[in-house]
Amino acid sequence: MKILVTGAGGFLGVHVVSRLLEHGYTDIRCFVRDASKAERLREIAEAYPAAQLELRSGNLNSKADCAAAVDGIALIFHLAAGMKGSCADLFLNTVIASRTLLEALEARPPEASPPEANNDLSIEKTRVVLISSFGVYGVAALKRGALVSEDTPTEPHPELRDPYSYAKLRQEQLFLEYQQKYGFELVVVRPGVIYGPGGGHFSSRVGLQIGPVFFHLGGRNLLPLSYVENCAEAIVVAGTIPGAGTQVFNVHDDDLPTAAQYLRQYKKKVKRIRSIRLPYFLTRLGGGILEIYHRRSLGQLPAILTRYKIASEWGGNRFSNKKLHATGWRQLISTPDAMARTFEYFRQNPVKH
Amino acid sequence: MKVAIVGCGKIADAHVEEIRKVHGAHVAAVCDIEPLMAEQLAVRYGIPGQYTDLAAMLDAEKPDVLHITAPPQTHLALTRQAVAAGCDVFLEKPVALHHADVQAIVEAVRAAGKKLAVNYWPEFEVQALELRRLLADGVLGTPVHVESFYGYNLADGYGLAIKQDPNHWVRRMPGQLFQNILDHMLNKIAPFIEDDEPSISACAYINAARAVESGANDLLDELRVTIRGSRTSAYVTFSANARPVGHTLKVYGTANTAYVDYNARTLVLERGQSFPSALGRLFPPFLVSRDYRRQAMRNLGRFYRARFHYFDGMRNLLTEFYRSIETDSPSPISSREILFVSSTMEKIFQQVYPGPQA
Repeated sequence: MKILVTGAGGFLGVHVVSRLLEHGYTDIRCFVRDASKAERLREIAEAYPAAQLELRSGNLNSKADCAAAVDGIALIFHLAAGMKGSCADLFLNTVIASRTLLEALEARPPEASPPEANNDLSIEKTRVVLISSFGVYGVAALKRGALVSEDTPTEPHPELRDPYSYAKLRQEQLFLEYQQKYGFELVVVRPGVIYGPGGGHFSSRVGLQIGPVFFHLGGRNLLPLSYVENCAEAIVVAGTIPGAGTQVFNVHDDDLPTAAQYLRQYKKKVKRIRSIRLPYFLTRLGGGILEIYHRRSLGQLPAILTRYKIASEWGGNRFSNKKLHATGWRQLISTPDAMARTFEYFRQNPVKH
Repeated sequence: MKVAIVGCGKIADAHVEEIRKVHGAHVAAVCDIEPLMAEQLAVRYGIPGQYTDLAAMLDAEKPDVLHITAPPQTHLALTRQAVAAGCDVFLEKPVALHHADVQAIVEAVRAAGKKLAVNYWPEFEVQALELRRLLADGVLGTPVHVESFYGYNLADGYGLAIKQDPNHWVRRMPGQLFQNILDHMLNKIAPFIEDDEPSISACAYINAARAVESGANDLLDELRVTIRGSRTSAYVTFSANARPVGHTLKVYGTANTAYVDYNARTLVLERGQSFPSALGRLFPPFLVSRDYRRQAMRNLGRFYRARFHYFDGMRNLLTEFYRSIETDSPSPISSREILFVSSTMEKIFQQVYPGPQA
């Protein structure tokens, strides 16, 4: 069975490829922007000499590139997405790129249909595993401490959130539309905050760096951390369970720290930073003032913080990964070990924020 | 003023926001060949109409003005369609890929009896308007020479996307990166060069430091142009490597010199002085610092009055353009300016990107 991984060269992608190989999947097509820069994937390929790791450069906004990418593929892990930029950029690189991929999948000639499964995985139809985000949940109206699980409704007003969440939710909706139309198996994986060596130092759930000061906004909220190797393992396990049908899985680690604990350990193990702790009510108050000013000044200062965004980001929720555990997923690296590894990497590579 | 937009990429956000600030104007509908792009713009801004077919939008909405923010290779066809439907046209830059297409756009609008403006918004910011007043009042004397500088960041955001993607639409234009920027440099010079055929000399290259860093990347990122008219000359400098990323204009006159900083929104005068000897070197910094203090206070006042938005110049330009439509007066952007920019650009590209492409 040939597997396609889009975004294979990215922070999460290389770990997904690695975990697939570790699980015994040996025929993998890695779709990357520029194969000449996929050093990590080449290193992984060297560690598995018996595997067929195909590096394919391309752009998911190109119909021809997508057609070539899905040719002969039985299982797709779709990780590629825009991470930053304007809403238009994110739609182009996340939603429209996804649609181009889905159209290429459905336009495949019959002879290029998936071959029979040849190992312990039984897939009768093509399966698509979409890597989505916690950002798609509509949590603004939830009470503090409410549990966020796969049953939590998705965001009713994505346009009021950040462009990334809006694009990811629209991407999910697109996959569901196509799934209902064409009947392929769809597994949606929604990771929390993916972190690890090579990733960003702070999620906005911890706080925001504004100028020289870090505004600590997360307080005692639980951080839905997902160490990148644990996350990749979860994606592979959830994405390959037999007979998944259309399912959604939340992905985060066990023993989650609070935002304050994360920041405290960061200061202790990485470097001292100047931070100001803003309690939730003050953040809400400040956001409300900014919102009013933004409206009255016709957008002279951007409404980066609105009460809706603040409630969504720092409202304070609990999280459940019970459904993920039911698939047989086990955390590879414990949360204390994962944080220690990450902070040690940050200490030696003090650049990203 | 009923406005519609065709092309729902990143810059369309700015158009929607600035149109809404113009008294009496509203965005009735948006259109993009890609339905998801039209959807995201319409949903975020609560715009009632969204279309994937321009003809359908023009027929159903009957807008007064069409803003064209689609890629430049589509501008000629879209302009013809717009004026045929009775719309005035507001074009995003670059106006078109080739000078001949720009000429055809200008002619199509003229023949239809409609009005055309291009989004040369920095020239309608407060400091640029002040420069016009100084020139009109003769404070600078007769302009002798003009220097237009524009910096660019290829290390982040949009610039990084252009650098990394050889198929990016910007890199497929004849003038590549320069074609996306030169409008904002050459339109500043247009009022000073009266000649139809000024002498133009251009060279472009990859900055040595970046060439090492980026390996085989073939994107030219430094441009130097000398333009010589019969009465005034100009230097045009584009740099993707100089820091800070600047956006300035310096006008040397026979009486005084004006230095305009578009990022800081300041204009200061460098004046001749009559103090003797060492005193003559002592006083000028005080005069310049006084100018900066005044500009800072003016900007503070504008911020207080909520007139300090990033695209405030576009708001001023749109206000003037819509007024020109309502009063049937000349467009704030003249055809001569549009054609000067495009013909100069084409001559520059012929020199820095020689071959059939240019």
